[in-house]
Amino acid sequence: MAGLPAIGDARSRTAALVIEFRNVGKIYKSLLGNSVKAVEEFSLTVVEGEILGIAGPNGAGKTTLIAMMLGYLHPTTGTVEINGMHARQYIEQSGIGYLSELIAINPKWRAETALVRFATLAGIPHSEISRRVDYVVDLLGLAEHRSKKVKALSKGNLQRLGLAQALLRDEQILVLDEPTHGLDPVWSQRFREIVEDLRRPDRTILIASHNLDELQRLADRVAIIDRGRLQRVVSTGYENPATAEATRFRLTLASGHDLIRAVFPDAEDAGRGEYDVTVHSLVELNAALADLIGRGALVASVVPERSVLEQQFREAVGESQ
Amino acid sequence: MNRALSLARYSPWQFRDFALERGAAILIIGFLWGFVLIAPMRIAIGSELTANGQASPLWAILLQGVSAIVSLSVLIAVNGIVSTDRKLGYYRFLFAKPVDPVLYYAQLFLVAMIGVVLSMLVLAILLRTIVPIFSIGNFILYVALIYVAMGGIGFFVSVATRFDWVSLAAVWLGSRILRGLYGPKDDWRSKAVELLPPVHKLDAVATSLISTGSAHVSDVLWLLGYGALFFVLGLALLRWGSLAD
Repeated sequence: MAGLPAIGDARSRTAALVIEFRNVGKIYKSLLGNSVKAVEEFSLTVVEGEILGIAGPNGAGKTTLIAMMLGYLHPTTGTVEINGMHARQYIEQSGIGYLSELIAINPKWRAETALVRFATLAGIPHSEISRRVDYVVDLLGLAEHRSKKVKALSKGNLQRLGLAQALLRDEQILVLDEPTHGLDPVWSQRFREIVEDLRRPDRTILIASHNLDELQRLADRVAIIDRGRLQRVVSTGYENPATAEATRFRLTLASGHDLIRAVFPDAEDAGRGEYDVTVHSLVELNAALADLIGRGALVASVVPERSVLEQQFREAVGESQ
Repeated sequence: MNRALSLARYSPWQFRDFALERGAAILIIGFLWGFVLIAPMRIAIGSELTANGQASPLWAILLQGVSAIVSLSVLIAVNGIVSTDRKLGYYRFLFAKPVDPVLYYAQLFLVAMIGVVLSMLVLAILLRTIVPIFSIGNFILYVALIYVAMGGIGFFVSVATRFDWVSLAAVWLGSRILRGLYGPKDDWRSKAVELLPPVHKLDAVATSLISTGSAHVSDVLWLLGYGALFFVLGLALLRWGSLAD
């Protein structure tokens, strides 16, 4: 939905700063002297209680950015801080819940013992471990797989195991890199519910994903990255309904087809009772819909042609992506 | 919960991994190698060593054999101790937890040392049934020394490179060859090879330590110091380097 949301508007400017990328850059150098700029001059802050999405095409620098945040890679320039501390120092002191893009768990371990191991490392008291393991096993539907070796798990189950280990402890910060990769539609939906349940005023969640629909639904803001640079930060809400830009919606009517042009003179018939209409604000859209319904039409659905995020993503990255 | 305590609670898991993935291999290889070495002279060995003790030429052969088994065991124990986690990406979940990688791998090094010592203890007990003059205590002392000396370098190599067993074998054998070639000469090369790992001292230390339980202090210090130095350098590289590079 072009222009409807405010761009870069943090969810709450008064909330405490949790993660800060300050002018972060990463250059990979080969032995032959060639260099590749993976991330350039990246600055961004994430506040307490926020769910921040990170979107970008393949090779945009999302995973490099997360690796720098976890201290697995040192930035060539700039710093990453968590709660005012060097990011790695914070993690070694407090830990975070992290789901990596590649689920790398020793294939010889059994699913349950893998969770027990991670719980031990996470510092969960011995008496609590089995309760926490049972909780994440139930939450992610791994009960029938808990005694299987990791190598015997399917891609989707492995992804769920990866997510389970990230949720073992009640972490203040969660970083999920391509969390629904390999999940079927049922578990993708379940994942969204789990993340919604994880939302808490004192918790910060970062989600890197190719799935714009998922980020649109879950994130408060989405940082769009391309070629290692932050292109823009998009707020996924609808705080600012006024816009000068035209936005297209697809309107589906159950009845009252003859009334459409009285309200939307420029409506295009898309067939099967569907019409494409163009408005300049949510206020205009709602007023027109009220008029249409008032005249006796029955509206079945109203869907933006492109989501807020998709529109912004296309503008930031380019239609070719 | 205290982070150091959490890490200490993880050590049984590290030991379990060692036992299943490396300890079993060390025992099997050590047993088979020992069997191949000792079986042909099994009948002679008892009477010969009983009669002549450590003066017997069989004793020297035996020491060469057990020394080689110890070196191989250390190589198996430290091979990939850090690099495997980096190559296969296991570090990602491990170190998102409140864990210091430096302490994690230092503990793993110690756990592997205990594993090697226990494996060698089992083999030494078996050997002792055939060679009663073989001192288990002296042998274990030698194993611990070689673990620090060779394992320390292996640890560093595993942090610094992903091809650690090849690198460690090359360093170990290369040092022997270069010291053999240039050590006796009286030029800059003889001084340069002095910087290489003191592998030339191994034979003397093995003979002395396993036979008598003592060795030249300077030789022991050279071996221990060299290994400890590289172990600390490996920890420093872990602290200041990148796990994901």
